[in-house]
Amino acid sequence: MTAPTRVETPRWTGQNYPRKEDRRLLTGQGRYVDDRGMIRQGYAHFVRSPYAHARIVSIDTSKLENMTGVYCTLVGEEVKEMSDPLFQIAPPPGGNMVEYLMAVDKVRYQGEPVAVVLAETRELARDAADLIDVRYEPLPPVVDAIAAQEPDAPILHDEVGTNVSWQGTYEYGDIDWALAEADHVVKIDKLHFHRFSSTPIECFGVVVNWDRGTDTIEVISNNQMPMFGAMMIAPSLRIGIDRFEFTSQDIGGGFGIKINLYKQTGVLALLSRKAGRPVKWTETRTEHHLDGGHGNERWFLDVEVPVMADGTILGVKARAIDDAGAYLHYEPLGAVIWSQVLPGCYKMRHFRIDYSQSLTNKCPTVPNRGYSRMQHLWMLERIIDIVAHELGFDPVEIRKRNYVQPDDYPYETPNGCVYDSGNLPLSLDKALELIDYPKWRERQKAAEGTTKRIGIGIGSTLDSGTNNFGQSRIINRELPFSGNGEAAICKLDLYGEVSVALGTTPQGQGHETTAAQVVADILGISPEEVTVIPGFDQARNSYVGFSGTYASQFAVTGINAVIGAAEKLKAEMVELAAMALGASEDEIELAEGHARVVGDPERAIPFIGLANMIYTNNAELPTEVAERISLNCRHVYVPPFDPPDPDRKYGNLTLTYASQIHAAVVEVDTETGKVEVLDYAAVDDCGVRINPQIVEGQVHGAAAHGIAAALREEMRYDEDGQLLNANFLYYHAPSAAEMPHIKTDYVESPSPFTGTGAKGMGEGGGAPLHAICSAIQDALGSDVPVVADSFNPPERVYRLLHGEGLGAGRGVEVVSKEGS
Amino acid sequence: MILAPVEYCRPDTIDEAIEALNSSPDARALAGGQSLINVLKMRAAAVDLLVDITRLEELKGIVRHDDGSLEIGAGVTYAELAESDLLAGDPRAIAQVAADTVDPQVRHRGTIGGNVCHADPINNFPPLMVALGATMHVLGPDGAARDVSAEEFFTGFFTTAVEEGELLKSITIPALSDGASVGYVDLEIGEAAARAVAVVRTEDDQIAEARLVIGCLPIPTRRPEVEQALVGTPVTEEAVAEATAGAAEGVEPLSDADATAEYRKAVIPVVAKRAVLAAAKGGHRG
Amino acid sequence: MDRSDTFDIEFTLNGETVVATVPARRLLIHFLRDDLDLTGPKIGCDTGHCGACTVLYDGRTIKSCMMLAVQADGATIETVEALASDGEMTPVQEAFHEHHALQCGYCTAGMVMSATYLLEKNPSPTPDEIREGLRGNLCRCTGYVNIVEAVAAAAGKETSE
Repeated sequence: MTAPTRVETPRWTGQNYPRKEDRRLLTGQGRYVDDRGMIRQGYAHFVRSPYAHARIVSIDTSKLENMTGVYCTLVGEEVKEMSDPLFQIAPPPGGNMVEYLMAVDKVRYQGEPVAVVLAETRELARDAADLIDVRYEPLPPVVDAIAAQEPDAPILHDEVGTNVSWQGTYEYGDIDWALAEADHVVKIDKLHFHRFSSTPIECFGVVVNWDRGTDTIEVISNNQMPMFGAMMIAPSLRIGIDRFEFTSQDIGGGFGIKINLYKQTGVLALLSRKAGRPVKWTETRTEHHLDGGHGNERWFLDVEVPVMADGTILGVKARAIDDAGAYLHYEPLGAVIWSQVLPGCYKMRHFRIDYSQSLTNKCPTVPNRGYSRMQHLWMLERIIDIVAHELGFDPVEIRKRNYVQPDDYPYETPNGCVYDSGNLPLSLDKALELIDYPKWRERQKAAEGTTKRIGIGIGSTLDSGTNNFGQSRIINRELPFSGNGEAAICKLDLYGEVSVALGTTPQGQGHETTAAQVVADILGISPEEVTVIPGFDQARNSYVGFSGTYASQFAVTGINAVIGAAEKLKAEMVELAAMALGASEDEIELAEGHARVVGDPERAIPFIGLANMIYTNNAELPTEVAERISLNCRHVYVPPFDPPDPDRKYGNLTLTYASQIHAAVVEVDTETGKVEVLDYAAVDDCGVRINPQIVEGQVHGAAAHGIAAALREEMRYDEDGQLLNANFLYYHAPSAAEMPHIKTDYVESPSPFTGTGAKGMGEGGGAPLHAICSAIQDALGSDVPVVADSFNPPERVYRLLHGEGLGAGRGVEVVSKEGS
Repeated sequence: MILAPVEYCRPDTIDEAIEALNSSPDARALAGGQSLINVLKMRAAAVDLLVDITRLEELKGIVRHDDGSLEIGAGVTYAELAESDLLAGDPRAIAQVAADTVDPQVRHRGTIGGNVCHADPINNFPPLMVALGATMHVLGPDGAARDVSAEEFFTGFFTTAVEEGELLKSITIPALSDGASVGYVDLEIGEAAARAVAVVRTEDDQIAEARLVIGCLPIPTRRPEVEQALVGTPVTEEAVAEATAGAAEGVEPLSDADATAEYRKAVIPVVAKRAVLAAAKGGHRG
Repeated sequence: MDRSDTFDIEFTLNGETVVATVPARRLLIHFLRDDLDLTGPKIGCDTGHCGACTVLYDGRTIKSCMMLAVQADGATIETVEALASDGEMTPVQEAFHEHHALQCGYCTAGMVMSATYLLEKNPSPTPDEIREGLRGNLCRCTGYVNIVEAVAAAAGKETSE
């Protein structure tokens, strides 16, 4: 483990330094993938299945033969010849899946590509695609994850032999004992976390050239985890990773979804090889909704919660059924990632979660902001509120009673995760203060009996950051993964310029700025004087297998890599300066673009002088020094992890735990079921903040995604597997006029594990879904069924008000011991 | 999104436009394009000729006639309606409904004529036109001209009385009777999911006259039974609720990703009640 | 009256005259981006909802994906590229920078055009008026909080949301 140092009195770190990337983006000079291209490129257009499940009978491309301007076509049968099936993360049975880069023989979701055409113009490619004749034999689809596990369900993948791609039991403590000992057992029939996507405004895009002369593949794309993509498709394309050059500059939002861009990249690379020219593909919004990837949908069945008379909740027993869609993309990693936050914010010790994952005839799921944890955290927050409602506890008090307390940190969870720091009760108090909780409780009373009921809800979450990829072995013990890390290069160039190259692929997180802030503090210059090279280039930037921008980790992995590289550079500069100035190294400080002797500012050498010593004047140096010092310093930050124990499903799965406590006030129109957010507050604790304004921006964005998901956004399939909202006409991403103002505050609990005290953040744990469901429940009271779905459009709330819920009766039952 | 190959022309006069529209059965008039361009992007209709009518001055005017009626050219944009001095403070709510249409960019291009001719059930002007008793002036080939009442204009899902080769020229909207106001209420679920428009005149806190139109249906639908029940009703929530309770009887709303027909039927009386109350209390959204 | 599948057009773009021949079916946004290499305006949806392609057409904001290129004939069009002159960003652009009103930047070109137009029409908008004025532009990164703040700041007002 490297222990990054904290600059004692940082001048730039911790400041709201306005972002370095802004100017180009504000003036229309950003370079996103569709703004770029390659000479001689053709344009690709995919032909997609209109069916959710069908056998491909034939694909006839003959009408395109000899058509002027059409370069070539590619169909599944050719892909099968030219490439191998994709590597699967799952063990058998899911791991038996044979997945080629494009559908062969069968399609398994609406919008799955079956052929692709390359033509001289976008228009020609689009027109030509219509002339490809595909015959299908429709098969019965299965779109429900529970039904998919029934014995008579249609099987998606014959070679898998079942629609259950993965299953396992997570058991800790003694839940049977807890259920027997508890004063009350609260039983909840069914909870359903719905399918949605954060839908980045920029859809996918790829420009790829398979150069026949060198057998190298140049890829310009907006993949947010390109080295994962390369790892997935290189074996399939039968080439080495070193044959790729992935690059990207500006990326128009990702939120996890853009991890899913690898399969298309692979098939387009084959198209380029066949055509002998570069291929450009720009996904449309409709294609993105059908095929880009959705967040995980999940059911929680037969939930049982042991509760003591004083409100202490002992644990949870439940069955979780995750819906992965038609293929396993990044999955089944979600089947373990949720367990990073097994007890959520609470000191529960007894768990049995029977987890299984279904394959269904829907778009594959992929990580979406809050990936896999928010589904589980939502269940826990539903449990807390339902327990409070059914047993008459105050929702604030029951949370405070069960929260991990400030003096419990570092807190080890039942499955061996270590919560680093936090102050949940204080965060909750701040959130309640922001919304003026007593005022709304009064207004709620005043509104009783009217058609405009008021409800107040709380969402408590953790944003676990910096994965230990060893947790993948809990899914598949054969996987050769553990730990995590990120790389950075910090360099002093010939004329004294300081530049930084990152292994990350930011999509708005401001890495150019925060990296410059920490480097400026270490090298005694201003962030203005630090060039952080925009974007990622596999050949230019340094990377490790985990590189990318995902899963709330830049503030730890990325920044610590940058700090490490800058510290190495500083050490080299100090050594050179000591030599040049005839001083000892501990007398040298870096300030104002010079290395100088402390207390004797006349004895100084500018950065350009140091650069000169190495780059262009090395005969003056001892050879040993000239050969050792490069002023081009790479550092890999490696967080302190051990591989988890797959037998016990036990170990530290993430390094940091930022927390979010959200409070929502809603008004429910009882005549229509429509929910309006009247007030909203988010309190974030991500330890030391490198750039508070950027942190707040992430808090706003994560809150907005959750609020919209709770009330407006669902990727909804009908029973035939047709997506009903495949564009923004029907998928209601909110505008400014449809979003409430979001109030923010923060608590700063430095992480003891990261050197800088910072924690990864940005996903927000889906807190608004929890808070808004909680508020709706609070508004509706205990006479109607419990809020059992994470998506609550007017009709669903209207039906709750009229007694129609998800489970039987009210969907909840309490069994109490005599005398309790 | 790439449109299918298509031809285009930009006539200088209405006569030329009608001639062009009659030159092919698949010719379509291109007004603001805020719906038609989407239809073309989705390749949802076969169109071989776009007749651009956006620059026809003859479709542009707003005129107030001596009898208090307004004549609005089909090519007037929502923004022009919203900003028109002639419509400022007009009790017919046209400017307000225009100002609430979608978003600024759409208001700068989209036209009232396009709105009513596209006749998407979620479009906001069709029920208002029916509620206000508007008359549509339709021109055809060889100088043919005919007037169609708004109630007869909307003939079905995305269809109107404008036949192939015809063009909507303008819409005349009569004055409201003295003291009458318009109430216009949506239940919005991303888009409008249920809508009611009421025109109400009260006397001594009682409803003296009422028109009620339900929107977000394949055809904006008047509810004469409810209108009759409203006459004589005191302007209280309870009384109006009772009178509008049957507002959804016999109507057949759509089911889609946002709401089922069953739910829409349940909330139509709610928006109807609210529209009547808004109108009775002086107008628009109350 | 000509009827054709290609047209010669002439219009003013960011202060300069453009003469071009365009297919009738080409959307204005594709013409700007692909033919004229003006890549500031973006494409984010298929249906005219996201507003990333917003430009000024004869002084008013429109979505350039909801118009044909041929309809530019005779018009004056301005894109985000026209805002900053001699490297000086406009007060709206500066406010977006100061208030961290952009993250990925993809919606920004359109958002800034709408904000600029809004302030031209209403130099002193309330937070609600700002939100209404930006209704045609989707952003998925910021939750709009800092955008509203930036527009208010550009108008010389503090928000009191």
